[in-house]
Amino acid sequence: MTAAAIDARGLGKDFGSVCALDRLDLEVREGEFFGFLGPNGAGKTTTVHLLATLLAPSRGSARVAGHDIRVDGLAVRRNIGLVFQETTLDRDLTVEENLRFAARLWNLPEHQAAARIEAALRRFGLFERRRDSVRSLSGGMRRAADIARGILHEPRILFLDEPTAGLDPRARRSLWELIRSLRASSGLTVFLTTHYVEEAEPCDRVAVMDRGRLAALDTPAELKRVAGVASLEEVFLARTGHELAQTGAS
Amino acid sequence: MRAVYGIVVREFVRFLRQRGRALSSVARPFVWLIFAGAGFAAVFAGRSEIDYRLYMAPGLLGMVVMFGSLLAALSTVIDRDAGVLRMMLVAPIRRGTVALGKTLGATLVGTAQALVVAAILLPVVGLAPTPGGALLALAAIVLTGLALGALGVLLAAGMRSIENFAGVMNFVVFPMLFLSGALYPVRHLGPVLHVLAHLNPLAYGVDLLKHALLARWADSGYGGELPIPLDCAALALFALAGLAAAGPLLAREGGVARAAFREQR
Ligand SMILES: Nc1ncnc2c1ncn2[C@@H]1O[C@H](COP(=O)(O)OP(=O)(O)O)[C@@H](O)[C@H]1O
Ligand SMILES: [Mg+2]
Repeated sequence: MTAAAIDARGLGKDFGSVCALDRLDLEVREGEFFGFLGPNGAGKTTTVHLLATLLAPSRGSARVAGHDIRVDGLAVRRNIGLVFQETTLDRDLTVEENLRFAARLWNLPEHQAAARIEAALRRFGLFERRRDSVRSLSGGMRRAADIARGILHEPRILFLDEPTAGLDPRARRSLWELIRSLRASSGLTVFLTTHYVEEAEPCDRVAVMDRGRLAALDTPAELKRVAGVASLEEVFLARTGHELAQTGAS
Repeated sequence: MRAVYGIVVREFVRFLRQRGRALSSVARPFVWLIFAGAGFAAVFAGRSEIDYRLYMAPGLLGMVVMFGSLLAALSTVIDRDAGVLRMMLVAPIRRGTVALGKTLGATLVGTAQALVVAAILLPVVGLAPTPGGALLALAAIVLTGLALGALGVLLAAGMRSIENFAGVMNFVVFPMLFLSGALYPVRHLGPVLHVLAHLNPLAYGVDLLKHALLARWADSGYGGELPIPLDCAALALFALAGLAAAGPLLAREGGVARAAFREQR
């Protein structure tokens, strides 16, 4: 039995009268590629922010990398990387300056940071653009820079919150390529949120979320077998009674 | 700490990159010197102990630090809207470290502006501070920057959006400026305003700057009025209190731009 990278118990969050996440029980294994599938408003981002200690839970708790999110935020944050749904880069700085800023926030020694930044810039095809301001980058390149920022400190657990939003097909493919190579080389745990079923297909296991509740949790193959259907799309329909694309506003 | 250094560097690079902001912040005190200087000099006329433009110099320096540090610190609101604040909040550092970094960055920006202005302004009005006076002035500038930087981070942490900016200018910046003794001695104000002046961090900064630069005119009542240690202590207290309050406030709702959720609801 491997240790759990993420272990949520009755985790929930309200925003005023809105219940964004009800009571989530969830275990993500070390090294797992975990999909968190649900339409807009399902509570995916809220869950990620709770696990990353950016939000305080209204009820329940969770351990991330073995640390309690309520009491040891620093230790949790030391072990995770998070690529936010929207870019967090400083548009007025260059790509390289952004990465250097991140390296300092994560307390990487300057010489180590310089080597990692160069490697990341090359890996993401940003090396030629490193002196350009983020403002001048295309959406895909900006996303790549965001991801480079998220893994610069070599986290054990990487949260990717709808990372393909705004990416063209080619950039999407290279993102999947990257996730594969990161997982192969470092045993990284990946927690991927998405509202595209096809993106959940390659995951080891998928949690299906609907309006703040966990509707199903299993391997993609098992989910399809149990529901007796051919696609995850239909699994969602079978489990929630409505279609993935219909709930929530965009 | 490396994270604080990183935040400070970013703040300064951003400032240098915004040419317009840098230029106008350096030009602003000279506009005041020319226009407000002319007006108040006329009112001041007859009191020959001190030239009004001399009297104004410490206040103008205080004003430069105030605008420089406060505006830089208020950029935390922009950081939240742009998402950069979240990058800082998800880093393995304390919330207070983020507030400290922003405050020190704002202090550096305000101090740099004040030093550039001082290098031009003091010769122009004919003020040549003693070495001790220059050192005290530098300390006054840094302390004022710290106090107003911390206050700015606190205000930004409590602000919903940059739309409240005009409110901050009207209800914080201008009262602070007019109750600081920058343009006229506060002792001539009524008792209510006089008390308010004592709640004003800029008043202590300007008083300290007058100690530093107008010591020669202290006997005729134009130098600093409060004891120097009191000025320093008050500024340090404002800085520490602002920092202590700003840290937890900054992390509210994960540093997510709240404006986005007002639309959704
Ligand atoms: N900071 C917030 N303030 C108020 N409501 C919020 C906030 N964050 C999320 N919500 C609400 O919680 C619900 C879940 O949102 P979210 O976690 O962003 O879903 P997803 O990421 O799956 O699209 C939505 O109804 C959203 O409007
Ligand atoms: Mg989301």
